[in-house]
Amino acid sequence: MNLSKKNKLVIIIVLVIAFGVGAIYAYVMKAPAKIESKKVDFSGTSDQLLIKILEDPAAWQDKIVVISGKVTSIDDNGILLSASIYCQLKDTTLLKKINPTNDISLKGRIIGYDDLLEELKLDQCIIQ
Amino acid sequence: MKKIVVLAFLFLSVSIVAQKYYTKTGKTQFKASVDAFEPVEATNNSTTAIINTASGDIASLLFVKAFNFRVALMHEHFNENYMDASKYPKATFKGTIIGFNFSEISDTKKYILKGILTIRGVEKEIETFALFSKKENKLLMQASFEVQPASFNIKIPKIVRNKIARTITISLAYEFIEKK
Repeated sequence: MNLSKKNKLVIIIVLVIAFGVGAIYAYVMKAPAKIESKKVDFSGTSDQLLIKILEDPAAWQDKIVVISGKVTSIDDNGILLSASIYCQLKDTTLLKKINPTNDISLKGRIIGYDDLLEELKLDQCIIQ
Repeated sequence: MKKIVVLAFLFLSVSIVAQKYYTKTGKTQFKASVDAFEPVEATNNSTTAIINTASGDIASLLFVKAFNFRVALMHEHFNENYMDASKYPKATFKGTIIGFNFSEISDTKKYILKGILTIRGVEKEIETFALFSKKENKLLMQASFEVQPASFNIKIPKIVRNKIARTITISLAYEFIEKK
């Protein structure tokens, strides 16, 4: 196949543009990061976290934590930990496997302190 | 006599406790999509809401950052540019379901829901219809209403104005359980 210099140039330019558009599209349309791969900002017991939260609730929004504590109750979507932290599970089918008498360790995202129910709320929780 | 007083108090306390229904995982969705462009919509699956079934009073609260988007960049813009979520982390609603009568709800019952919606610290009165039904021991509520971003001082830049609807539809689907 013999291509003239001009045609070669056109092909290269088209390829570069296509690649550029593809890269921009991938950046713009990127899906949100998964909880599993997010960096942990705090790790400890539920009581330790509550003390820190009550000091400065605003600073803890959207933070990723790993907490352990006692299961107080279980509902259709999540677990109440130490009577004051509600953890909404990412995969609710796992709720059936949780033994309510045991301690549990969870990784999740803090969404905020709910002053209607006076509970700290976490979502996207996964069992550690 | 003492026994009667004790019994009376017992009944009183039981009836007060049994008056509240709540959810921690209510679904609140907004849609601001324009045809032919990338859908602008997100769902918050962590809305807290409490109904007093005796008076029909309702209060709800959601965290702006807990809205789930399909696209990370849209999520970021929503939190930082439009909703200013670090400064105003919560959106709340406080209102009344007019004529609410818990015992008459069986299939689907329509009531007027009226109250104050607070977004970005700006209060706005909302009036809409809400549908109630019962399933097993749950009380289900569905409602939707429309708001304009300008009512809450949300400025939409010219460059994206055509891609975001002028009127935003907010829909709610809450499954309340009895508070014990």
